Amino acid sequence: MKLIYRIALRLSLVLLPLMALWATLFYFTMVDEINDEADDTLEDYSELIIMRMLAGRELPSLNNGSNNSYSIIPVDETYALEHPHIDYYDAEIYIPEKDETEPARILTTIFQDNDGKYYELQVATPTFEKDDLLDAILNWIIFLYILLLITVIGLTIWVFQRSMRPLYALLKWFDNYTPGQNNTIVPNNTTISEFRKLNTAAQQAITRSEELFDRQKQFIGNASHELQTPLAILGNRIEWILDNTDLNEAQIGELLKMQQTLGHIVRLNKTLLLLTKIDNGQFPESKEINIPELIQEQIALYNEIYESKEIRCTATYDNPLTVQMNESLARTLITNLLKNAYLHTAKNSHIAITVTNRTLTIANDGETPLDAEHIFERFYQGAKKQGSTGLGLALADAIGKYYCLQIAYDFYGKQHHFSVTWP
Amino acid sequence: MKILIIEDEPSLREVMQRALTEERYVVETASTYFEADAKLAGYSYDCILLDIMLPDGNGLRLLEHIKKQNKRDNVIIISARDSLEDKVFGLEQGADDYLPKPFHTAELKARIKSVLRRGKSGGNLTLTAGNVSLEPESSRVTVEGKELLLLKKEFDILLYFMQRPNHLVDKSILAEAVWGDHADQADNFHFVYAQMKNLRRKLTEAKASIEIKAIYGFGYKLILPETE
Repeated sequence: MKLIYRIALRLSLVLLPLMALWATLFYFTMVDEINDEADDTLEDYSELIIMRMLAGRELPSLNNGSNNSYSIIPVDETYALEHPHIDYYDAEIYIPEKDETEPARILTTIFQDNDGKYYELQVATPTFEKDDLLDAILNWIIFLYILLLITVIGLTIWVFQRSMRPLYALLKWFDNYTPGQNNTIVPNNTTISEFRKLNTAAQQAITRSEELFDRQKQFIGNASHELQTPLAILGNRIEWILDNTDLNEAQIGELLKMQQTLGHIVRLNKTLLLLTKIDNGQFPESKEINIPELIQEQIALYNEIYESKEIRCTATYDNPLTVQMNESLARTLITNLLKNAYLHTAKNSHIAITVTNRTLTIANDGETPLDAEHIFERFYQGAKKQGSTGLGLALADAIGKYYCLQIAYDFYGKQHHFSVTWP
Repeated sequence: MKILIIEDEPSLREVMQRALTEERYVVETASTYFEADAKLAGYSYDCILLDIMLPDGNGLRLLEHIKKQNKRDNVIIISARDSLEDKVFGLEQGADDYLPKPFHTAELKARIKSVLRRGKSGGNLTLTAGNVSLEPESSRVTVEGKELLLLKKEFDILLYFMQRPNHLVDKSILAEAVWGDHADQADNFHFVYAQMKNLRRKLTEAKASIEIKAIYGFGYKLILPETE
């Protein structure tokens, strides 16, 4: 989830209860204030009526245009003592002129006249419909919430994008970063100290890792180079013994086995050197390579070498495929993938090679899928094979990376599928 | 035949010197750029084996010196850097061959022979063993002057053995030499046997005086006729 979405979501979630709380408070304060006003009017009105009555003057008419109404009923003493003398409440009253009931604010006052008789005065004034108010407030609150949300989120996005610009510049830089390539330095043209610090830290970490990367590459290269001479000496000494001494069968056997092991080390070393060279991008020259032609040539070789396995290899080319590559790297790539297929296919099995558009797929029969995550790693070997360097697929992968090819492994239909897609 | 070995690693120098002395060459050695330069100034050699990574200078500069002096010495570059650029550069600078480390002694001997022959006979590289002659450029093989038709792989095998007479060649090394890297993990060597069987049959049928002999099932050796 993007940071800005997370912020927007949180803001809207926080705003929701906040607005609800605010709406409740607003409603009650509003109702309180209106009641207060109505109560004041009712009090004045009832005082006027009581005073007129006590003074024996004419009481105001009931239909004086205002919707105020009143009634005076005599009550007995017990009733007067049991009820509060001044009481405000809300109720529905019937208005005869309109022939309907309306919500009203009512004040009942119990008073004694000069004779000590108790009367109950009920004055009512029609007031607002609370449901209407509630509805109105609710509607406005929703409207306000949406408006506020849009404003707040819009503002947030604007402010966020403006102030987070250095962060996105850094992230973009990271996206374009490939280890070991010629990379530009981390952009650092912000005045915000936190981001400056982050950029500096990123630059330092990158520089450090680049150094390590270079040093490691150099180390592998140097170590492999340095090994060449001792390997040559060792090989030559074995050869000298073989050519110049009288040896029995067992001795020759041992020496030849030593030679084979040495040959294995030499191959390993050469492959490591090749990997280093690919990593260093030391294969600048390239030419048009006809992939099907290359494959046909290699199939013939492998069919001969693995003749005893009786592998059926079929190749179908839907279309011609020529690519721009270094010839020896193209050869190495195809060789390693094909060799891998021939090597790991059981006797009497099938290898299917297909070229469709710009994708080459080499499929060979197999029982269980391989560990797709690791098979392209250096020295990863599912089951140890004698004479294997464990670098074949790593080499294919390195070549793929060098030319930005898509090299993938998949397992379906009881077949391993290795595919190479040229861009 | 005088050969100068320019190599800084004493052990390799010793091995190379011993192997070449056995071939009845006169061998001199130099371990540094300085020493080599001094020797080259004073003497001339039929073949110079030049390691291009020397402690006190680049061997490629020595090569430049040699070629500037218009000497006709043959130069074989021996390098731990098996890179195409180095090879191309070395050959452009006038080296006659380029042998990456690590190499087999037999390979070194074969290369020296080939370079020396090329220098002498003006490009005639024909190899002869017994009554068999082999022309690498035209892929022609003759036995007593009569042409022997060989398939590509059979020819490659014969060439490999004729460059290394009397040398025991392990079958895995032969497989790698003829079939390339493709063969390095083969489960068995049936494909070598098959080609070898045909080649040996053809040699026998043509009454060749040489024989490629199987040694205890480990490998093969080209045996020259007794009279030689």
